[in-house]
Amino acid sequence: MHHDIYLAWRYLYHHRVRSLILVICLSLMGAMPLGVHEVMNQGKRAMLDRALQTPLIAGRVGSGVDLTLNALYFNNPNAPRTTMAEVDRIESTGWALTLPIYSRYSAQGFPLVGVTLDYLDYRRLAVTQGEMMTTLGECVLGADVAAALGLGPGATLMTTPGNLFDLAGMYPLKLHVTGVLGKQNSPDDGAIFVDLKTAWIIEGLGHGHEAPAKSVVKDPTKSGNTRMMDAGLVTYTEITPVNLETFHFHGDPATYPISAVIAVPNDHRAEILLRGRYLNYEKDAQLVAPLSICENLLDNIFRIRELFDGVLGLVGLSTLLALSLVFSLSLRMRRGEMRTLFLLGSSRFTMFRLVIAESLMLALSSLCLGSLMIWMARHWLSGVMLRWVLA
Amino acid sequence: MRKTVGYRMMGWLWLLLGVFGATRVLAEGAPPLNIVAANYPLAYFAERLGGQQVKVSFPVPAGEDPAYWQPDARTIAAMQKADLIALNGADFEKWISRVTLPQSKRIDTSAAFKSRYIVVKDAVTHSHGPEGMHSHAGTASTTWLDFRQAIQQAEVLAQAIIRNRTGLKSVVETNLVGLIADLHALDGDMRQFATQLGGKPLLASHPVYQYLARGYGLNLESVHWEPEEMPPPEEWKTLRDKLKSRPARLMLWEAEPGSAIRQQLTALRIQPVLFQTCTNRPPSGDFMDAMRGNVRSLIAATRPPSAMDK
Repeated sequence: MHHDIYLAWRYLYHHRVRSLILVICLSLMGAMPLGVHEVMNQGKRAMLDRALQTPLIAGRVGSGVDLTLNALYFNNPNAPRTTMAEVDRIESTGWALTLPIYSRYSAQGFPLVGVTLDYLDYRRLAVTQGEMMTTLGECVLGADVAAALGLGPGATLMTTPGNLFDLAGMYPLKLHVTGVLGKQNSPDDGAIFVDLKTAWIIEGLGHGHEAPAKSVVKDPTKSGNTRMMDAGLVTYTEITPVNLETFHFHGDPATYPISAVIAVPNDHRAEILLRGRYLNYEKDAQLVAPLSICENLLDNIFRIRELFDGVLGLVGLSTLLALSLVFSLSLRMRRGEMRTLFLLGSSRFTMFRLVIAESLMLALSSLCLGSLMIWMARHWLSGVMLRWVLA
Repeated sequence: MRKTVGYRMMGWLWLLLGVFGATRVLAEGAPPLNIVAANYPLAYFAERLGGQQVKVSFPVPAGEDPAYWQPDARTIAAMQKADLIALNGADFEKWISRVTLPQSKRIDTSAAFKSRYIVVKDAVTHSHGPEGMHSHAGTASTTWLDFRQAIQQAEVLAQAIIRNRTGLKSVVETNLVGLIADLHALDGDMRQFATQLGGKPLLASHPVYQYLARGYGLNLESVHWEPEEMPPPEEWKTLRDKLKSRPARLMLWEAEPGSAIRQQLTALRIQPVLFQTCTNRPPSGDFMDAMRGNVRSLIAATRPPSAMDK
């Protein structure tokens, strides 16, 4: 048997270009449909995993898809906002843990997400470098953000102004990085987390004051101590230990904006009660189950897979026919070689074994190359698929 | 055969004993519930409620007023790791809006009577102690001086402990009964004092007794005096003028006033009475000792002089 394999190997090696082309064709034919399925399944699994870990999301009435994608992936800063009253409303029932999220702003191209520490606990996001944020104006970076920006504890970064054309708008805030979160292979890796209150300071709802003595500017056209302008009301662009104590908020905290509230019910009964309450009474708000929203979304998106399957089937069939033709032509071209072997005393069965050995070696090589292609697709393209779905 | 059955039974017995022992070890080995309290009354309530099963931290240094204290980064990090953060509410923790703490661990013990908070207007900015300039404007925060409110705060704290560690339910409920009984007794004594006083005017050295006054119907007015600082002459003049319309004979003090102040008050026929608010740990004894002492002093000060006194 090993003589057959040796002869087959020598033959394939002698015609190595042709053999390589055959192996690539066969492996692509197998790997393409399987790889596409694998990449799509990975993308779907990644989306559904995140949705599975997020029982309910409450927010302003409107598109449930926008609300879900914003709360899970922080990718829609202009989604309709709700207020902290929504958090109070759920908390007053005592049926669920509430995790408010405010993801309107960004810093250096990454989403800036205002959360409470409960969110980080719930997502099991622990600081692996530095310390957790403790006061206003501090932030912790997701693992991918830290790697991409090359920042770590002690660094600073500026928030991106909401609107470049709004000259009287909000000042960018200089954030102090206190720590970097451990990698979770989730959208949290690509976000910058601040306290909700810091996000509200960026929004302009809270501010600090300079010492009045320094800030009073006198009007030279008037006599006496006329107070023309009080720079004490200038919003700070950096919160430091010196000015921290002057920071405060105005207005009713229940009116402060948030993007969404993740609600984690205490048990199944609490979940049913909460959903019932929103269905019956809450007209300005909605409560959605991210799992069903994501499943519906993916079902719609992945209908394209059926089209892929059809096209790949046709391409595969034509490739198979072409390969059969190549193989039969090659056998015909090898008629002289076969005759020589016959004259040397080889039986017809020996020649059959030789052809089978060559075919098996080609198939095995194709299987190896195809598996490698699927592995590469699984590792490098699943993230691309997730980004494509969310784009 | 009989021997095998015997061995099996022994095996089951050992297994049961093992499971029982392991359960006990696990129960005993459970770390105590870590509670951080924002003021001393809450720290005292938590200690009374949880006993040995809770570890209560009160991070405010001695001598500092917790209402004007600002935690540093290390203290905030320790608070983040606690199981419960007991807050007084009523704007007592002015630092709370500037720090990052887990919302789910924060217990606002006065939220139940939020609608009954007392809002202070036209407050004077002044300074004393290490916390520097401050004002008492905003919401009055010494809620526990109305002992019925203190009972409500203790109940909220007890519920939070039980929610966090259901295994402590029986201990906490038993201890709560004792704590409520003590607070009820104080409440009864304060009512007796209020009846004895019969609406006569009272003075307070600092505007920190708003809930005490409201809770027990006291006709109380405050000045802004410090025990260790002699008030300026114009303050004394204002007081003398005030006494013409409000002939108060008692003045409540958070700490013993200096002897010079005491002398001048005595000259005006005003008796200083120590009534500690206990926002921070008292120099001696505990919250209940201090409050009992407060009420005793008040009752003693209004008792008519006996023949022997004369």
